[in-house]
Amino acid sequence: MIIREILKVTDWAIFAYFVALNSGYLVLICMAGLEFGKHLRRAPFAGADDMFRSPLTLPVSVIVPAYNEGAGIVAALQAMTALRYPRYEIVVVDDGSTDDTFERLREQFDLVEVPRVVPGEVPYRTQVLSVHVARGNPETLTVVRKTNGGKSDALNVGINLARHPLVCMVDADSVLDPDALLSVAKPFGDDPLRVAACGGVVRIANGCKVIGGRVVDVRMPRQWLVRVQVVEYLRAFLMGRTGWSRLGGLVVISGAFGIFRRDLVVKIGGMAHDTIGEDAELVVRLHHYLRERREDYRVIFVAEPVSWSEAPSSLRVLGRQRRRWHRGIAEILRKHRRMIGNPRYGRIGLVALPYYVVFELLAPFIELAALVLLPLGLWIDAVNLEFAWRFALVAYGYGLLVSLVSLFIEEVSFHRYPRWSDLVRGVLAAVLENFGYRQILAAWQVTGAAGAWGGRQAIWGTMHRQGFDTAESLPLETAGRR
Amino acid sequence: MLRVFTVTIVVLIAIVALTGLGIVAVRLVRQARQRKRALLAAGPRRALLAFVADNGADGGHDLVALPDEAWQAAEAGALGLLGKLRGEAHAALVSVFLRRGTARAALRDLRSRSRVRRARAAQVLGDLEVRLAVPELCRLLTDRHGEVRVVAVRALGRIGDPTAAWRLIASLDQSDPLPSLLVTHTLAQLGPETEVTLSAALDHPEARVRAVCLDALGLLGAAGSVHRVARVLREDSTLDVRIAAAANLGRLGARTAIEPLTGAVGPGRPAPLRAAAARALGDLGTSAGVPALVALLGDDEYRVAHEAAHALRRLGRPGLDALRSVLDTEAAEMIAAGRGTHARPSSAAGHALEALSLASVGPDPGASPPGSGTLDELVAG
Repeated sequence: MIIREILKVTDWAIFAYFVALNSGYLVLICMAGLEFGKHLRRAPFAGADDMFRSPLTLPVSVIVPAYNEGAGIVAALQAMTALRYPRYEIVVVDDGSTDDTFERLREQFDLVEVPRVVPGEVPYRTQVLSVHVARGNPETLTVVRKTNGGKSDALNVGINLARHPLVCMVDADSVLDPDALLSVAKPFGDDPLRVAACGGVVRIANGCKVIGGRVVDVRMPRQWLVRVQVVEYLRAFLMGRTGWSRLGGLVVISGAFGIFRRDLVVKIGGMAHDTIGEDAELVVRLHHYLRERREDYRVIFVAEPVSWSEAPSSLRVLGRQRRRWHRGIAEILRKHRRMIGNPRYGRIGLVALPYYVVFELLAPFIELAALVLLPLGLWIDAVNLEFAWRFALVAYGYGLLVSLVSLFIEEVSFHRYPRWSDLVRGVLAAVLENFGYRQILAAWQVTGAAGAWGGRQAIWGTMHRQGFDTAESLPLETAGRR
Repeated sequence: MLRVFTVTIVVLIAIVALTGLGIVAVRLVRQARQRKRALLAAGPRRALLAFVADNGADGGHDLVALPDEAWQAAEAGALGLLGKLRGEAHAALVSVFLRRGTARAALRDLRSRSRVRRARAAQVLGDLEVRLAVPELCRLLTDRHGEVRVVAVRALGRIGDPTAAWRLIASLDQSDPLPSLLVTHTLAQLGPETEVTLSAALDHPEARVRAVCLDALGLLGAAGSVHRVARVLREDSTLDVRIAAAANLGRLGARTAIEPLTGAVGPGRPAPLRAAAARALGDLGTSAGVPALVALLGDDEYRVAHEAAHALRRLGRPGLDALRSVLDTEAAEMIAAGRGTHARPSSAAGHALEALSLASVGPDPGASPPGSGTLDELVAG
């Protein structure tokens, strides 16, 4: 009898949790909708062209860590060297690749070795083997070869060698929109005293046509597994992060495309070596540092233009990615636990981090608990069938509504998918997400968090790339990651 | 309780269906609007391009006579063209806008309650370079919305009326100030007539104002202000302002800047100031700065030594000769000490080696090609 009562109460608590979780998402998405409206109304007088022409626009060092990216590195760099920005340099850090990453770069860009003094402003653990620059254009492209030490270590070497006041971290397999750098650096020009970091949106490139290192035709991916991720990226990354940015509580800037003030990154010691979610950890540490000093600062997110990245198209790779992401969240929240609920850290401590604990870290545990307890309740007669199916329908129906609202806002604001068939596929993916995808995702996330708490060694694993639909030489083979 | 669930499900289904329909409706409306706009704009766009291609000699009347709806469809493109045109074509297109009453409407909108309309109006008046609007745009520098203030600053820059300089400087000293870089660029756009104002503002009590004025003087190339900028470098109480002074002395490129910059790289000064002054010595482009820069190559501060080495590189032959001489001296010392030239170079030699190597691979190589980076190969080269 007592067990029945406990199960009944638990089921109701889980139901309340689902309602709160989806309501939280809905609030963030609505905030994002308001932000997009503001962004679009102001686009004609935002002054992007003035920034491009101004001699005072802050120069940027684009840091590209690369490990076994031979298949796509040349095309990615060709696209990066064609970005629309007045003054920037690209620092590629070859993190001990075992493939032909460096040889391809040397051949394409006519690299020559130069003796560089590498400062130790931020710590790195490995050995820099050589530094190379492009003959004829040594100020724009630098390629560093080092022994393998992981992404954080590669980024720290890049930060040390960066010459400009802003550092932009970009994944080697990313395809940037031509104005991406201009847009993501613009907040630093608009509010130079306060903006500390700015994140750019990452969208999924699978299925899109890429020519000359540019996404020229946006399409839905061919596989349902990736289509579901497109909807998920829209809801969680584009809308969620824009919403947090508007609330002043952004704690995640994707390592695939984010820009920071170099002096601040150096002051806080660069990328952490002890976490797999080094990108988000850097942002939380930045908040920690600036809040402790009571600085007036902003960490913001821009929704357009974008960096395009390839999403996993197999369950195996997706599972590894999501375990890694959730492990990163668990590690960051443990490392910065003193900030959680601490009024000293303002909205970050009182709103954003508690939200991440309750609705990001714990969500997969609750989801799995619901999947076990609801049938159990039915079996021991603690809940009846009428309640159970209504419970499931409301919980998942609310989730579906949140995804559809994201699609609606995307359609009103950026409408990147011009085909009617893609629109239908997006809506269907939002429905299908609830049947299997969310549940298996929860299982991976739980094992990721358990890995962090159990102190198991973090492994990046290999990302088998399918490549983009391209007329030119973007990655068509497989490339790897740590 | 089940009834509440049932009602919730019905409501959810209704909202989900409405959202789905909403997505379809938004797309249909947008596509229809785009088609209509493209249709309306096609004719005016052709006429517009023919008009500017002809330097505005013919077709102005036709553009003025276009129905409002057609003009509105093409107006964004026409405004975009304004920024790309110069000379007669620009003046002719501006005259079309003025004859259509665009400037009058924009002047009215500067007092609109909507911040978006105020900002758009300021943008249009800037694009059209309407001098008459300067007092109103100056008023917008204290607008309660930041984005309106930003657009007003840019518009004032495009118009280029130097009388706006004081108002721009004053706008930096308010509780929610304007972006420094933007104001600096705008002040420089106002032209050399602002030099006196900017020079006078170097005594402003607010550090940010002084830094902006220094940057604007640097951009203007106001060589007459070197002594005042040098005084700021020596005497200002704020480090960032002194750094700005050093950087802009370099930009001004006057020989008289050597002495204050050499003083600023001396020991005991803050490292960021010494690094900025070293860089500025390189920007001056005169060999008189070489001895001071050579002395910095072995500095304990990485940024100072790095900037000194690359300043020498940018100086061309005299700087590169000095860098080679550092390597020669070190090689000779190593041989004398019996350590051989393959020994690990000192910090000074390391920075010199780096700068020489970069100089040799640039578009205009001023040094011999690098070897594998050993001291003897570079010295031999």
